[in-house]
Amino acid sequence: MNDATHAPDPLVGRRQRKDAAVPTYETLLAHTFVTFADTMVTDFDVVDFLSTLATRCVELFDAGDAGIMLADASGRMQVAASSSHQMRLLELFELQHDEGPCPDAYRTGRAVQHVDLRDAAEIWPKFAPEAVRAGFLSVSAFPMRLRADTIGALNLIRATTGVLDEGELAAAQALADIATIGILHHRAAEESRLLTEQLHYALNSRIVIEQAKGVVSQRLELDMDTSFTTLRNYSRSHNRRLVDVAHEIVDRELPAAALMSPPPV
Amino acid sequence: MAPTIQPDRLAAITATLDHDRDLGLDIGARLCATCVDVLGVTGAGIMLMIDGENSSSLGVSDPTIGVVEELQFTLGVGPCIDAVHTGQPVLEPDLAHPSVHRWPGFAGPAVEAGVGAVFGFPVVSGAVRLGALDVYLDRPGALDDTQLADAVALAGLIGDTVLAIQANTAPGLVPEQFEASVEHRAVVHQASGMLSAQLEISVQDALARIRAYSYAEGRLVNDVARAIVQRTLYLPSETG
Repeated sequence: MNDATHAPDPLVGRRQRKDAAVPTYETLLAHTFVTFADTMVTDFDVVDFLSTLATRCVELFDAGDAGIMLADASGRMQVAASSSHQMRLLELFELQHDEGPCPDAYRTGRAVQHVDLRDAAEIWPKFAPEAVRAGFLSVSAFPMRLRADTIGALNLIRATTGVLDEGELAAAQALADIATIGILHHRAAEESRLLTEQLHYALNSRIVIEQAKGVVSQRLELDMDTSFTTLRNYSRSHNRRLVDVAHEIVDRELPAAALMSPPPV
Repeated sequence: MAPTIQPDRLAAITATLDHDRDLGLDIGARLCATCVDVLGVTGAGIMLMIDGENSSSLGVSDPTIGVVEELQFTLGVGPCIDAVHTGQPVLEPDLAHPSVHRWPGFAGPAVEAGVGAVFGFPVVSGAVRLGALDVYLDRPGALDDTQLADAVALAGLIGDTVLAIQANTAPGLVPEQFEASVEHRAVVHQASGMLSAQLEISVQDALARIRAYSYAEGRLVNDVARAIVQRTLYLPSETG
């Protein structure tokens, strides 16, 4: 359909120019969704996941390059994945100057496209000429968003002019959305794991301190309150953590009698 | 199993728990009361699992479920234990005449305490198992699909609440909402320490010895531990 002797119509969607020998767009898109769904269930590596997303986007949308930026806890964006070194440099440029399709998509929570970057100097006075210099002529950026939270942006950039058609826009946004869900889910799971570790550590520390009180009570013939005071005083005067002293008492690395001796001079 | 609690009802339940702004000291009791109310069961309890053999009760709605949880801590078997190990709901609709023989030593005392049917639901957050929700009926009977789905949803809510409490606590400290349940179990660990020093054995072996003695004597671990700490009970160095 694409006659090489004529300039391509910029409004004709990518799909129609696909080589028949490669898997159909629909197949690749479906496969991408399945892969991502599977990734989210198993061990999840954010960097690996986003690199895959960038690569897939290049294939699916016939993009020259793709890149993803994620915001950190304070809302500052960072480059999370790029399909090439050149793309990474361009993304860093966007961040450095706080200007470009990714910052716009992130801030507005809306997709941003430009059909010909040679005409975009008014919108992106620094980014547009830099992108053109790097050989790119059109761009589509999508917010990575779940309800009210936008966590970053996905950027597709091409060496030719043009924009994505409705179907491709929807598919790209859907991929961005699925990536967002995967990342937020992973973050929540990590937080759960961390909080559980903290809780168990605190509970286990209490257990060993109670056990140590019992050992001290038996060895030094003290009641429980006095045993605790003895442990605590020893810890303070020797500048050690109570839980560490308790562990040593319980594990018999420190004899209870040592608790009564004065601290080193 | 999709929960049948409507999202707005679950939100209303969550809002009730949050209405004191912070998660108050009585959060365990309120969670149990909510479970009893939503599920229409006789009683509910929440067991917090610390490691493979240590647990404490976050709250109970009545003394009977308290006995159920103490029995499980003493014996190391029961619906909560199984729920945590399998990650699945554990259902026993007729404890006096169970179709599956399990939990040696548990059924008799539990039935005596007033349990007709007992059910355990794992409390999880993501992939992590924090403990279990146990509910009972005072006569034999099964939970219907609505109750089962609601119990699973409530167990999830309990898991989220436990972690929210931890998130509001400085790392390394036991959240004050769990202080009472931790304090309740302290005597067992003190007794383990004493016994380990008396018999020159590890604290793990000492706890096992206390449990074995409790089982043989038909007593709860906490009671035996208290007697050891008060020096009214000395366990022999060789098990009988």
